[in-house]
Amino acid sequence: MNWREKVLDFDHIGERGEDFRGLVFDIQKFAIHDGGGIRTLVFLKGCPLQCHWCSNPESLSAKPEVIFVSNNCIACNKCVDICAAGALRQPDATQSGLIIDRNLCTLCGQCAKFCYAGAINIIGRYLSVPELMKIIERDRKFYDQSNGGVTFSGGEPTAQPEFLLAALAEARRRGIHTAIETSSFVARDIFVSILQNVDLVLTDIKHMDDAEHKRLTGVSNQLILDNLLTISRLGIPLRIRLPLIPGLNDSAQNLEETADFVQQLKTLQSLDILPYHRLGEMKWRQLGMEYQLSGLAPNTELEVDRIGRLFTERGITVSIGG
Amino acid sequence: MSPKLSLDPSVANHGPTERIEKIKARFLATTPEICAERAKLITESYKETEGKPMSIRRAKALEKILMGMSIYIEDDELIVGNQCSMPRSAPVYPEFSCEWLEAELDRLAKRTADVFLISEDVKQTLRNDVFPYWKGKTNQEIATALMKQEAIDAGNAVVYTVGNYYFNGVGHISANYGKVMREGLNAVIAEAEKAKEKFDFADAHQMKSLHFLESTIIANKAVIAFANRYADEAERLAAAEKDATRKAELLEIARICRKVPAQPAETFPEAVQSFWFIHLVIQLESNGHSISPMRFDQYCYPFYEASKGSLPAEKAQELLDLMWLKLNGLNKVRDENSTMAFAGYPMFMNIIVGGQDREGKDATNELSLMLLQAAANTKLYAPSLSVRIHEGTADVLYMKSAEVSRMGLGVPAYFNDRTIIPALLSRGLTLEDARDYGIIGCVEPQVGGKTEGWHDAAFFNMAKVIELTLNNGYDVRIGMQVGPQTGTVTEMKTFDDVMTAYSKQMEYFVGLMCHADNMVDLAHGQNVPLPFLSSLVEDCIGRGKSLQEGGAIYNFSGPQGVGVANAGDALTAIKKLCFDEKAISLPELKEILDKDFEGAEEIRQMLINRAPKYGNDDDYADEIAVESANIYCREVNKYHNPRGGQFQPGLYPASANVPFGGVVEATPDGRKKGTPLADGVSPIGGFDISGPTATVNSVAKLDHEVTSNGTLLNQKFHPNAVKGNEGLRNLIAITETYFKNGGFHVQYNVIDRNTLLEAQKKPDDYRSLVVRVAGYSAFFTALDKSLQDDIISRTEQVF
Repeated sequence: MNWREKVLDFDHIGERGEDFRGLVFDIQKFAIHDGGGIRTLVFLKGCPLQCHWCSNPESLSAKPEVIFVSNNCIACNKCVDICAAGALRQPDATQSGLIIDRNLCTLCGQCAKFCYAGAINIIGRYLSVPELMKIIERDRKFYDQSNGGVTFSGGEPTAQPEFLLAALAEARRRGIHTAIETSSFVARDIFVSILQNVDLVLTDIKHMDDAEHKRLTGVSNQLILDNLLTISRLGIPLRIRLPLIPGLNDSAQNLEETADFVQQLKTLQSLDILPYHRLGEMKWRQLGMEYQLSGLAPNTELEVDRIGRLFTERGITVSIGG
Repeated sequence: MSPKLSLDPSVANHGPTERIEKIKARFLATTPEICAERAKLITESYKETEGKPMSIRRAKALEKILMGMSIYIEDDELIVGNQCSMPRSAPVYPEFSCEWLEAELDRLAKRTADVFLISEDVKQTLRNDVFPYWKGKTNQEIATALMKQEAIDAGNAVVYTVGNYYFNGVGHISANYGKVMREGLNAVIAEAEKAKEKFDFADAHQMKSLHFLESTIIANKAVIAFANRYADEAERLAAAEKDATRKAELLEIARICRKVPAQPAETFPEAVQSFWFIHLVIQLESNGHSISPMRFDQYCYPFYEASKGSLPAEKAQELLDLMWLKLNGLNKVRDENSTMAFAGYPMFMNIIVGGQDREGKDATNELSLMLLQAAANTKLYAPSLSVRIHEGTADVLYMKSAEVSRMGLGVPAYFNDRTIIPALLSRGLTLEDARDYGIIGCVEPQVGGKTEGWHDAAFFNMAKVIELTLNNGYDVRIGMQVGPQTGTVTEMKTFDDVMTAYSKQMEYFVGLMCHADNMVDLAHGQNVPLPFLSSLVEDCIGRGKSLQEGGAIYNFSGPQGVGVANAGDALTAIKKLCFDEKAISLPELKEILDKDFEGAEEIRQMLINRAPKYGNDDDYADEIAVESANIYCREVNKYHNPRGGQFQPGLYPASANVPFGGVVEATPDGRKKGTPLADGVSPIGGFDISGPTATVNSVAKLDHEVTSNGTLLNQKFHPNAVKGNEGLRNLIAITETYFKNGGFHVQYNVIDRNTLLEAQKKPDDYRSLVVRVAGYSAFFTALDKSLQDDIISRTEQVF
């Protein structure tokens, strides 16, 4: 079993199967910025937050969904002919590309199956824990050699708690170092049971002001901040990730408050500043969604360094880019 | 415990000196030219020695060259000895071949790759005094006369090329440099004199040995006289020199050149100069490339140690840097076709550091680190620098190597003792000799000073065999039945039928290739023995036989398979799509290939995206790639050469994958007609979309021990992937994991801005290029142009 085999299986996309499966939208090997060493990064689909800057918008919905990459389209029109639900049509002669009616789409997968050029695809595949373990085990030797392991990311991995828990427990049982990359927006008791199986938590602080947090992500930060303290209390190593979004969360006041809060975390390993980048922008379009931060310029390297120093001056270990 | 564990890495922290920068700038400002001196001198010598035994003629010719060629000492130089009348220029070696040179003389300055300027005087000399004499006498012409017509036809179809040694000297050797440093050439002469006593002049064969031994004595004496010419020149310059410092330097050069290589070296500078004379003269005797210094950190170490007290570390580093610049100054002119396979004036001189010593202990020392630093200091393309890795490799060597890898120079190449030592044992080397291996050229292992390995005997076009399998042995490009009839595509009812036909074609063509190689081999033995080189390889003197006639202790011929990934992926696509899934029939596929996918881009996309691909840790594709390689290797293993040695396969391309792809029709891996083949055992560029760990897992499935002539894996990284200490550790982890799983060689390139610009233009070739940012992943070529531009502008930053 490898991930590509799963991706090329277009005939069973909607099937969750009898055994419990998780919805995964990508598996990236040789991940090197997500928890130390060489890791396999498992991206779970579905997120309760809606951050404006999200670079993986295909992770937001908790269902499989159609994505159209116009760069790859060779205009063979086969997808339009094949779609039994009538969800696909060609734009008129003046436009290139494809119009997708996502309400009509039944996720049967047949358009993607015959799109050999890979322009149209269905994001998300259901995997069982044993299937996932087979994929993860393939790079076992690299984890051992580099002090790496597996990291569950998203979306929001804790939004599929049973699957995540089962996968983490199994990885642990096999002696693989486990990490999660989470928003920490999850009910406390569920979070605690997950944390029992985690060797390292990577978690965001997106904004310290609750109202701003709601405006930018759609949810309150109360639960998140409480959960962060819980991680620390449980003695689990922690890396705080600060997505640095110009004009949205890089004010002096917010950075000060972030630093104040972070200093309370006893198990903190480092604060990772993740400078804003625009790499997710086109994916919003490919999903037929609007990107709210169009035209926003990333921080310059100098600015990022200056902000980094605000934290290092307080004795916090900072890394830029994770 | 070994004191080497406490090796201080700061010994190799010295950057380039002003002297190095000056000489390097001069080197870069020089356009290579053709020099006719050697050609003129050897032609005169051959005329003078007609009728004498060939070994004597060769020695006399070398003597004439060394005594007659222009010599000079450049400003700032401390190591002396030049190949041509002008720096960076290439001599002509008409005895190997010159028909092509005569035909291409006016193209040399106009061609696109490896340009050589050539003056009208030089052209006149070559046309009047050189070429006419050699008509019908060159080694190439004599080898051709020995070959079967079928072998020549298959060569014309470019199923293989034996071109390297067909047109040139063999090279691909490592002489016993250490012995010359320790004992001097006078000792070699004494050895040859003594060996003469063993042979009986009344026996015709033994008389041949006596001629050979005499030739080695003539050659060695000529080399000593050559060094003395430099001593004279240095003294002459010193007498006229106003600057006291330079004057002292010149007098020291004179002193050293009077002493070495005739006598044993006693200091580090003497050892380096002794090395240089030997290396230079081997390259003047024959134009074979890949003459490899190999384990310089080992055989030169006693001299470094002897000078440690008197020579500051920065002066020692400067001498190594100077040696690097000298190595870059050696050059060779190739025919225009070959420049496409060997672009960039390459000489493939390989220096290797680290590894185990003959007793199996870690051999890392200060020089190992300093040689890595020399590559970092000079940043030029030569020599090829390699590092041997074993269980006990010192961490400081691993880290220093990773740091140099990260600089993006493409060096060092990493070699795995855990695979290579057993591979060499299986070829009959003693354990001590196997542990003492070095690398010739790109990736070919052998024990230096004892081996005539013929490592680049031929390149074999595996993708062409796929094409001929689908065409029942008929080559459409040259319009000729070149292979056996193994069935038309309509007759192939199962995948096994396809594999059987592929195996039969392979059997036929590998046999022809080995025949062609052996005929070239015979010709070298008869026409171009090399007395000086032979005298420095065991046991030529003892056996009274030149290297070219089997004088070495170990003899091999190593032809390389090129396009493993293409052959594997083509067969995989046929199995998966034509037989398993029946998405397209084989005759239909064949028709589309014949039209080079014209009007069938969709099918091409299906071949690319719906069949598994080698390099993604997918057993389906990997097993077929392994089998297609094994078929090649098993055939090669059957043959022997006229020097009493075995053929051994390798899987690496130099850059033959480009011209080889040029003659292959469209293939079922989705490759269009005429486009390059995959390089070495690497996956097809753009198809390895599962990241470096998957690639390494796939490539490790090949049998790297049977391919004892070497395999080559190139890996590319974005600078972001190797930043910081952790990046270096990850690079080491990739190497370690590959090697623990049986890998042979790996080499890293760090992608620069230009690569990304190229990827924007040719997205198909760079589909596997990943942008790695925390929590995010996309393939570079899937990004919009504006985002690609963004990344390009940030490539050289590290976040």
